[in-house]
Amino acid sequence: MSGIARPDSRQRIGGTVPDLELPVVTGGIRTLESFLDGRRGAVVLFWSSVCSHCIRYDELLGEWESRQPEVALVPIAAREGETAEQVRQVATERGFRFPILHSADGAAAAAFQAQQTPRAYLVDGARTLLYRGAIDNFKYPHDPDYRAYLEPAIAAFLAGRPIEQPETPSFGCAIRSVYYELPKPLS
Amino acid sequence: MAGNTGVLGRAFENGLTAFGAAAGRVQATLGAWTRVPASTPAVEPPVAGPPDLDRAISELANRLVRLGRYWALSGTDVGEIWRAAREARRQSFAGFPWRWRLLLQLPLSLATLCVQETLRVLHAFRMVGLRVGPGFFVEMCETFLDLWVYQSLQYREEMQRYRKRLAKHPDDATARLHLARSYVKCGLHAQAARELEVAAQSPRRRPRALYESVIANYRGGNFDLATRQGTSAMAEGVVTERMKYWTWLAAERNGGYPTATPPEHRLEMASGRHPTSVRFEEVGSRIGLNKTSGGRGSAVLDFDGDGHLDVLLAGVSGGCGLFRNNGDGTFTDVSVGSGLDECINPWGIAVGDYDNDGLPDVYVTRLGFYDGENVLYHNNGDGTFTDVTREAGVAAWTPGFTSSWVDYDCDGKLDLFVPGNLGGLFHRSPPGRLFHNNGDGTFTDVAAEAGLRHLPPTVGTTWGDYDNDGYPDLFLSGFFGRPKLFHNNGDGTFTDVSREAGIDAPCLGMVACWCDYDDDGWLDIVQFVWCRNEDMIYSYLRGEGPPGGEPLRVFHNNRDGTFTNVSRELGITESWGTMSGNAGDFNNDGFLDLLLANGGPQMDRAEPFVVLENDGRRFRNVSFTAGMPVTGKWHGANVADLAGDGRLHVISASGGMYPGDLLTTSVFRPVELTGNYLNVRLVGTKSNRDAIGARVKIVAGGREQHRLVSGGSGFGCLPCEQHFGLGRGQVADALEIWWPGGGKQRIDRPPVNATIKIDEGRTEFVLVKKGPSPL
Repeated sequence: MSGIARPDSRQRIGGTVPDLELPVVTGGIRTLESFLDGRRGAVVLFWSSVCSHCIRYDELLGEWESRQPEVALVPIAAREGETAEQVRQVATERGFRFPILHSADGAAAAAFQAQQTPRAYLVDGARTLLYRGAIDNFKYPHDPDYRAYLEPAIAAFLAGRPIEQPETPSFGCAIRSVYYELPKPLS
Repeated sequence: MAGNTGVLGRAFENGLTAFGAAAGRVQATLGAWTRVPASTPAVEPPVAGPPDLDRAISELANRLVRLGRYWALSGTDVGEIWRAAREARRQSFAGFPWRWRLLLQLPLSLATLCVQETLRVLHAFRMVGLRVGPGFFVEMCETFLDLWVYQSLQYREEMQRYRKRLAKHPDDATARLHLARSYVKCGLHAQAARELEVAAQSPRRRPRALYESVIANYRGGNFDLATRQGTSAMAEGVVTERMKYWTWLAAERNGGYPTATPPEHRLEMASGRHPTSVRFEEVGSRIGLNKTSGGRGSAVLDFDGDGHLDVLLAGVSGGCGLFRNNGDGTFTDVSVGSGLDECINPWGIAVGDYDNDGLPDVYVTRLGFYDGENVLYHNNGDGTFTDVTREAGVAAWTPGFTSSWVDYDCDGKLDLFVPGNLGGLFHRSPPGRLFHNNGDGTFTDVAAEAGLRHLPPTVGTTWGDYDNDGYPDLFLSGFFGRPKLFHNNGDGTFTDVSREAGIDAPCLGMVACWCDYDDDGWLDIVQFVWCRNEDMIYSYLRGEGPPGGEPLRVFHNNRDGTFTNVSRELGITESWGTMSGNAGDFNNDGFLDLLLANGGPQMDRAEPFVVLENDGRRFRNVSFTAGMPVTGKWHGANVADLAGDGRLHVISASGGMYPGDLLTTSVFRPVELTGNYLNVRLVGTKSNRDAIGARVKIVAGGREQHRLVSGGSGFGCLPCEQHFGLGRGQVADALEIWWPGGGKQRIDRPPVNATIKIDEGRTEFVLVKKGPSPL
């Protein structure tokens, strides 16, 4: 895959993330810069159509444009071996209308040092990394300890305030795992 | 009592074992004759299919049982069954070039598998079979069958099977019930509740659907609805211990039972109410360790050598999280770019400085109940770790619940012990591996020569010198067989002394640790034990264990090579589903307390974190008096003075097996310092640098306390730093160290309320930190 530069060995908050140039699962090619055009920032979201944790955020992604009109959503179907056809099928099933980039060879994940889905990176218009980590600490609905991480970070960024917690540990499904290469149990 | 088997049972078991061993030997001979490569310890993942006949047969059996389960639950036609069976056979035997020769070995391979399975079932029946119906076994099978489905993200295919069935047969309440259960496993509680409402219209499935509906609504945060549903279901006659329990849990979260709940359906908790001097507060989010995940192992280490204890958390729904101590007991996530963040699906962590460079290295096992690639990370000293598994020669593809660092031959270099757990219903017992440290960054597997190759499936492994001969001995705890004790002969070999030592009654064993709970200078064994859901509920509500139940085992060292299980004499009767545990003096009163991290993989399993306080004579459950939470699903229990102020923190990486069973790592810290303390750090010079295996004795207030520097005992890895509680006003008279190489050292009048460091062979200690005094 072309169009992704190798980053510093340790990605840092305040550093610049590499630009991306990736195919869209429905056709065409987009860069991260093209998403930033006319927006104040973007959220690069490592995502997978089969991730059992990403499914919790369908509503957030579906409403993204209305919730965050100033920040572009850049979802990347990133699990190694995941085909564009699989992603298209799931996107149709789940009613997604936003473009989904595709990087099934692990290059985008390697460039962002992402290990699992979902994992979010908030960048400003100059691709400066402002936040990375989990979308929230969701465990179950109505959890009294629930805390959103990503959207408060966006709100702070848009308001020009420092982001209170610029990094959170993320969790989810492995982007690359030998278990995906083994014969499937239900085949 | 459970596990107490008769002579006939033992003879049958011995006969089966001998038969299995003989069949194995004949198979090996036949294999050599027909030039079929023998089965060897697996190193690589079998991407192209199982590499030998034994594994292929196990794989086929696992696949057929899994397919059988879905046919039973979702129905299918004969043609589909035939096609699926052929596909299972094809995948299981992919890549075999010498099939005709294998036919000769086939009956022998089947025989050895049957022997192992029979012994496991026999042990399980001894534990629970006489008291309960098939429910326990069905639940355990479901867990094993589900694990690989969810790990390989085939939950969608599972749901599609049910949906396909329901499209054709919308009245199939069984398929609908299990579709709903799959939703719950994925955290899709609202969808689950809708399906269960429909399934409950079937008279045959109604009781189960109502129960599952309470679980779905509870887990979906609808505690009010769950309470009302449970109450109404019980009014209909669906009255089970589990239904009462989950209704009670929901009522607790909802501010109490509704008035409609009659007294006979209400419960009250009796456990964990003993008075105590320690009170915990949860500080995970305050100190930056609140990683949400399917938490597994945890380790406390000083990875950057700055003198502060850092934390490594293994989350099976994510990679390893490395958290650097800021020096004040708060933490910064430094995972990204460390190399450890790339360690996906970790389970157990063992920390040890194998090259004696002063920087702790990390060995990680994967997926304790399914095969995984173990990894050795070398600490580069700059905040990064490098995967050196291949170069070091410690690669293993095995179900890895646990591993441990040990200097078994006392040559000053840490060796690595890696047993295997059971990785599937029909998996064979995996080989044990003892990696001897060659001193040049490489290791050699000497398990066969040492007598540690053929081991039962192992969950807990822990090393301690029970006969004080200077060499660490090995205790193994397993879920599917008898515990094992291997005596270290001091010449690189080990002798199985389990039966003579009196520790080999089977139980549902989980992790274990050596500790001298009575401070007599002879190491005892604490074996943590799992139990079925009903036994946990019984214990929780009554404050005592059920008749015939099995509490954790405290094997008292009789100083003559034998042990006696004294848990009931010590007042421990409650049964818990303990998955991880450890010992530590939380109230600094000078007596080692026990910590039980409880739970289970099933979605309807939620248990408290139990603290058993030792008053020198008995252990008492003080969990709720001490402020521990009512329920959770705990793993990787660890104990460490993270702030260096004398208060032992309890760290538990938490979470379940399914993606819908997430929890956040919890850290419980005593609110107050309730007694004097001394933290001791040892640095080996002749011995291994971590001083793993060293024994430390403190004399204070007219009595002794003993500690062992452990190289890992289960999910997690305790810090090498040893904590002594000294009670109020006590000072220490002397500190004695028995180094792994045999050297002894004494320090008179060490300070109290401090952390000190002692180098092997130096009479002076270094004051690392002076802490506060108790209020």
